[in-house]
Amino acid sequence: MTILGELALWIALPIGIWGAVAGFVGGRKERGDLVLSAEHSVYAVFFLLILASAGIITAFLTDRFDYWYVANYSNRELATFYKVSGLWAGQRGSLVFWALLLSLFSAAAVFTNRAKNREFMAYVVGVLLTISSFFLVVLLFADVNPFERLPFAPADGRGLNPQLQNYWMTIHPPTLYLGFTAFTIPFAFAVSALLTGKLDSRWIVITRRWILLSWFFLANGIVFGMRWAYEMLGWGGYWFWDPVENASLLPWLTATAFLHSIQIQENRGMLKVWNMGLVALTFLLTIFATFLTRSGLIESVHTFAENTRIAFIFLGFMGTIAGACVLLIAWRYPQLKSENQIQSFLSRESAFLFNNLILLGAAFTIMWGVLFPLISEGFTGQQMTVGPPFFERVNLPIGLALLALMGIGPVIAWRRASRRNLVKNFAMPIVVGVLVVGGLYVRGVHHGMALVTFGLSAFVMTIIIVEFVKGTKARASIEGEGHLLAFFHLVSRNRRRWGGYIVHVGVVMIFTAFAGAAFDREVVQTLDPGETISIESPFGHEYTLTYQGLSSPRGENLVRQAVALMTVEKNGRPIGSLTAEKRLYVKWEAPLTIVGIRQTLMEDLYLILENVNDLSGAFENEAQAQRATFEVQVNVLVEWIWYGGFIVTLGSIIGLWPSRGSTTTASRPQTGGKRPALAARS
Amino acid sequence: MKDNGKFFVGLGGVALVVTYLIWTGVSETMMYYLTPVEMMARVAEDPTFHEVGLKVSGRVEPGSWTRAEDELLHHFTVVDLEDKSVRFPVEFRDMLPDTFNDTDVVDVVVEGRFREDGVFEATVVLAKCGSRYEATAEELLS
Repeated sequence: MTILGELALWIALPIGIWGAVAGFVGGRKERGDLVLSAEHSVYAVFFLLILASAGIITAFLTDRFDYWYVANYSNRELATFYKVSGLWAGQRGSLVFWALLLSLFSAAAVFTNRAKNREFMAYVVGVLLTISSFFLVVLLFADVNPFERLPFAPADGRGLNPQLQNYWMTIHPPTLYLGFTAFTIPFAFAVSALLTGKLDSRWIVITRRWILLSWFFLANGIVFGMRWAYEMLGWGGYWFWDPVENASLLPWLTATAFLHSIQIQENRGMLKVWNMGLVALTFLLTIFATFLTRSGLIESVHTFAENTRIAFIFLGFMGTIAGACVLLIAWRYPQLKSENQIQSFLSRESAFLFNNLILLGAAFTIMWGVLFPLISEGFTGQQMTVGPPFFERVNLPIGLALLALMGIGPVIAWRRASRRNLVKNFAMPIVVGVLVVGGLYVRGVHHGMALVTFGLSAFVMTIIIVEFVKGTKARASIEGEGHLLAFFHLVSRNRRRWGGYIVHVGVVMIFTAFAGAAFDREVVQTLDPGETISIESPFGHEYTLTYQGLSSPRGENLVRQAVALMTVEKNGRPIGSLTAEKRLYVKWEAPLTIVGIRQTLMEDLYLILENVNDLSGAFENEAQAQRATFEVQVNVLVEWIWYGGFIVTLGSIIGLWPSRGSTTTASRPQTGGKRPALAARS
Repeated sequence: MKDNGKFFVGLGGVALVVTYLIWTGVSETMMYYLTPVEMMARVAEDPTFHEVGLKVSGRVEPGSWTRAEDELLHHFTVVDLEDKSVRFPVEFRDMLPDTFNDTDVVDVVVEGRFREDGVFEATVVLAKCGSRYEATAEELLS
């Protein structure tokens, strides 16, 4: 099976190259037979990459340590669960996994468009197979072949880093990769639109779901990563401003901008060049994020000092694509003229435009921060760095501006907002926002930035709720339906719009959670059994944790544990217990800190076993080895991130859900457009 | 797009604000990224370097790590990766990452200030344990 997998990679490359050439030539010469052959190549490459991936997984499952990659990322004792995830545990497997997902989406795009949008498909396939072929070339010729054999077979592998032995390992990386690769489809359609000259909104309408799908996976992947960090890294935070985290945020930011700016193109025929630029930029950023994660070019908690040479191959690839896109857009520039122009700053176009500029501004500042060590070294010969203080400082005002626009954008009128439109839509939300700030201030919340965030969140939430209420009421009275039924019909008739509003609710909750962090508290103390730690919550009550002692459960002999038990009281009333632990995997020198979290809606009680004075004694259950140091944190509103993430998911699924009938019914402008975007132009 | 004057006004405005944010952000938070050898040289020629935020990479000296009995306070020594004679003590009042230890090869990056008394007061410690690296064929054999 494993041999077959390696063979599959070698066969996939010529087929991919053939298909790419056939796609481009078939498109140029309008040869249907070549296009068909190119499409068949997409299916073939998909099938071969399934074989290659199955080959790697089989090698993991059968403990084939004579393969370098398996020897480095697995051992005999590793749980089956993690052997399967070995496919994306390291750089080499990740590249195959990336190619697999890309070929999966490519095949899906070819299949769903087998009988429609044919004029685009030749070049779409050409682009998709070019990218797949690039990955195959890297895999086979850049010293990163996952099927590389060792000249001997080690008795056992080195195992998987314990930090990665977590269930999130099977969820977080694949979700992000799905997001990265799904965005290749809109990019391919955009390039095809440029090549064929079909530059109206068709390519956007066709790929809208793909864009949302990619965005959905990226958003989830990022939130899953935050959750993993919060549970695992053991310091109570969820965002580190680590280069790789930042790199995954970049395509999400530009994809968010793109999701909004395409609405302006669909409704007002504007921003065509901008959208072409954004789709190319987002695609390039997905590639950037992919290779940065596994390149070691920039220091990060995610880099495992792997082959850095491929970083330069990837940079060359990105440069080539960027150059080609610039040339294509320049060539088609005369046909990409705006059909309208912005009439007023007080208009939806303008709000969306600012949303775009600010999202891009955020992406640019983060990119700048990530690359600053390289930039400063290039210019001054001296490496300088910026860290979390830089990113927080710069992105706080940007984030607040975005939050405000999230309220303004959906309800301000297109073209030019009248005074009446402004008063009608914004008077009440502003009042609610001010009342919330006032109320919180009176209750003792005096943190300026947090107050601004809470006020803006209340403003946006009010606007969204009013929209839902107005829509439901209108529908109920026109159709004579009950309110609940009217609400469901309202949402299902225009899923994109209302799904989008639901996503906004989730994002507002996440912003609120970020502001909550301003009120976090922590206490550090060294205790003997029987002693207590007290920590006051910003909500006024007090937690008292009583240390009951350490114990070492006798489990499998590969892991040694020292588990600390604490009983917890809230204002003197017992509410349960928490455990925190130090764990040592025998084959790894570094111990692992496992935290205890008591989650509630408004705050988490977070317990860290910082140090055990005599860890080896504790592992042996020695009675005198009990003294330990703990950090206790009260983390305010953290849970809202996960709930918010859930609501974002819900809203995205509503937006993604297929409409009844053909997809053309979904191509009507749905966000308050005044004219049918397609009929007028194509 | 020549008619969209307002577009460019908006673009220009946002670009200015972003530039301002980056400029002030960088100038107030940036840190020099140095090796211990470079840091010593810098401080020798310009004592104001004791006041500046620094990020220094090196290796933890085996056996140098001590922990205060009842308070969150760590001391350890960082050695230059190339010139082993260049070393400095570090003081750190927070939790160390799991990957930190002083028994095997641990590369660290410390952020903070190099005080005039010759102690590096770290606010952030990042540690990379040697065992996290991929092994070559020869290393797998041993």
